Amino acid sequence: MTAVLAIGLVVLASLAIGVYGVRAARSTPDFLIASRQVGPGYNAMAIAGEYLSAASILGLAGLLLKNGLGTLWYAVGFTAGYVAVAALVAGPMRRSGAYTVPDFAEYRLGTSRIRKLCGCIVLVIMLLYLVPQFKGAGVVFQLVSGTPYWVGVVLAGLVVSASIAAGGMRSATYVQAFHYVLKLTFIAVPAVYLIVQAGTDTRTEALHPEPGTVFEQTTVVEFTVDTTFVVHEPTTVRDGQGQPHRLEPGSHTVAGDEQRVFPAGAAVPHPQGLPDLGGEQWSTPLLDIDGGHPLVGTWSTLMALTLGCMGLPHVVMRFHTSPTARTARRVAVGVIALLGVFYLFPAVYGLLGRVLTPQLVLTEATDTVAVALPAQAVPGSPGVVLTALVAAGAFGAFLSTSSGLLLALAGGLSHDLFSGSVPRLRLAVVVGALLAVLLALPTARLDINVLVGWAFAVAASTFCPLLVLGIWWRRLTVVGASAGLVVGAVTATGAVSTALVLDPSPGWAAMLLAQPAAWTVPLAFATMILGSLVGRAPDWSEHAVLRLHTPRHPGPESG
Amino acid sequence: MTAQRRTRVTSPQTRIALARRHRGGQHLLRVPAPADTERARLVFLAQRRRAVGSMLLLALVLFGLSGLVAFVPALGELRVAQFPLSWLLVGVVAYPVLVTLAMWHVRAAERIERTAGPGGAVPGDPGGAGP
Repeated sequence: MTAVLAIGLVVLASLAIGVYGVRAARSTPDFLIASRQVGPGYNAMAIAGEYLSAASILGLAGLLLKNGLGTLWYAVGFTAGYVAVAALVAGPMRRSGAYTVPDFAEYRLGTSRIRKLCGCIVLVIMLLYLVPQFKGAGVVFQLVSGTPYWVGVVLAGLVVSASIAAGGMRSATYVQAFHYVLKLTFIAVPAVYLIVQAGTDTRTEALHPEPGTVFEQTTVVEFTVDTTFVVHEPTTVRDGQGQPHRLEPGSHTVAGDEQRVFPAGAAVPHPQGLPDLGGEQWSTPLLDIDGGHPLVGTWSTLMALTLGCMGLPHVVMRFHTSPTARTARRVAVGVIALLGVFYLFPAVYGLLGRVLTPQLVLTEATDTVAVALPAQAVPGSPGVVLTALVAAGAFGAFLSTSSGLLLALAGGLSHDLFSGSVPRLRLAVVVGALLAVLLALPTARLDINVLVGWAFAVAASTFCPLLVLGIWWRRLTVVGASAGLVVGAVTATGAVSTALVLDPSPGWAAMLLAQPAAWTVPLAFATMILGSLVGRAPDWSEHAVLRLHTPRHPGPESG
Repeated sequence: MTAQRRTRVTSPQTRIALARRHRGGQHLLRVPAPADTERARLVFLAQRRRAVGSMLLLALVLFGLSGLVAFVPALGELRVAQFPLSWLLVGVVAYPVLVTLAMWHVRAAERIERTAGPGGAVPGDPGGAGP
C-alpha cells in the first residue's frame, strides 16, 4: 500500500508541474519544443530523464538476472548512442531549424513527399518504444498493488495522456529534469542500502556466481503465465492446496495463476532456452542471443543501440530546445556523463537478485526484480519503504519517457501526417496513448529490453542513415533516401516480427532475426547511397549541407 | 495571470510546412549559397574528417572492449576488489572512456568552428574541392 501511495505522489507531482506549464503552451512550437527557453543544465537533465526509461530501471536489472552480465552492454550501448549523437547530428540538426526528422528530410531533400514516409516510420518506432514503457508500468503496479496487469497499463495511459495533453513539452522539460533526479535517487539509494544490508555472504555470493543456484529458503513461486521449465533432479514441490507433487527429471509445465512451493535447498529450475543462472555463459559479459555466437550478438546489439539513438525521434527533437548548435553538442556530452552515473546502479539489483530472488526467472517475471528485491532482502518496514521508493522511481521513469515518446508520436501524427494545430495535437496524444495501451496488453511476457532493442534497431536502420548521409553527404537524393528508408524499415520490422511470431530455433538465423541491426543498417546505408548515385542531387543540395556546418555568427557564441 | 509574454519561435521549415496546406504545393525551400562557399566547404570537410575519426574511435572502444572480453577469458578470473575485471571494464570503466571521447570530439569541432570566422585559417585540405 505504501508503494501505491508513493506512486500516487509521483503522479501528483508530475501533474502539478504539468499544470504549472499549461500557461506557456499556446502555439504549436510552444507545445513541441518549449520555445527554446530551457537552460542547458535543465536540458541535459531533461534529456537524460526522458531517455532513462522503464527499460533502464526495470529492464536492465531484470535482463541481467535472467540472461547474465552481457546485459551490461545494453547500458553501454544506450550511452554510446549519445557519443554518436554529439559527433554526428547534434550541432547540424540544431542548425537545420527542423524540429523533427520529417522536418529535416523536407529541408534537406526539398520535397514534402518524403515527409509522410518519415511520419509513418516515426509511428512505428514510437509504438515499439512506448509498448515496453506501458508494460513496465503495468508490471510494477501489478506487483505493488495486487491488481491485474491491465489495470496498471490502463491507469498509466490515462495519467500520461492527461498530463501531456494539458501541458505539452514545456511542462515535460521540467517534469523530466525533475525525473532524472528522482530516478537517480530512487535507484541509487536503495541499491547502496541493499548492498550494505545484504551482508558479506550475500555480497560474496553475488560476485562469485556458481552454476546451479538453489532456493535458500522454502520459496513460494507464483506463476503468472504458462511456463515450461526443466528439472535435473527429482524434486518434491507443493501446490496451492498443499498437495505434494514429485517432479521427475525432465521438463514440466505449470499453468498461469498457479503456485508451487519449492523446499529450501532445491535447485532453481530455469525455463527452457535460458542460460543457467550463474553459469559461465551467464557470468561472461557478452550478449549471447542465440547461444552460439556471443561476440556477433554483442556487436549487432551495440550497433542497434549506438546508431539507433540518433534516429529516435524524441531524442532528435530535444536538441532544438538548445539555443545554439554549440550548446546542443555540449548538452549531449552532459547527457553522457549523467547516463554513466545512472547506469552504475541497475546491475546491483540483477546481481543481488540472482542470490535472493532467483524464482523470478522461473516465473518469467524478471522485469520486476528491482521492485521485488528490497522486500526480500530487507524484511519489515525498511523493506516496504524501499519497495515504495523503487516502485515510485520506476513509475516516474515510465511517466517521463512515455510523455516524451507520446509527444513525438503526436508530433508525427498531427504535424507530419495531418496538420499542426494544438487541439489536434492533443487529440493525437490521446490516440497514441490508446494504441500503446492496446498493444501493451498482450505483451506481459516479453522482456522490456528486448522490445526497446527493437525500437532502436528500426531507428538505426531508417533514420540513422537518413540523418548521417543527409548531414555529411551532399549527393543524397530523394529517390535514394526513400528507397533506403523503405528497405531499412521493412527489413528491420520484418526481421523482429518474424523472430517474434516464428520463434526460430537457435542458430545464426535466429540471432540475425532477433537482433537484425548487423545487416539491416549496412543494407539501408548501401541502398541510400546506390539509390542516390543513380540520380543527381540538385545544385542547391550542397548549400543545404554546407549551411548545417557553418556557424551563423563567428565568435564564441557562434551557432 | 501576470505570466510573462512569450514569443513564438518558428523555424523556417516549420513555417513552410504549416503554410503549405493553405497554399498547397509551393513549399520548396531555396537554400541560399553561403557567403564564402570555399571556406564553408573547408569547414565542412574538416568537420567530416573529425566526425569520421571520432566514430572510428567509438567503434574501436566498443568492439575492442567486447572483443577483449570474448578473446581473453582470463579477464573473468582476475579480480579487483572481488569484482571480476571483465565486469568492471564493461560496467564501470566504459563510461568515463565514452565521456572523454565525446568531450574530445566536441572540443575539436568547436576549434574548427572558431577558425571558420573571418580571418581564421581552416585546418587541413588546401584543395578544398567538394566530395
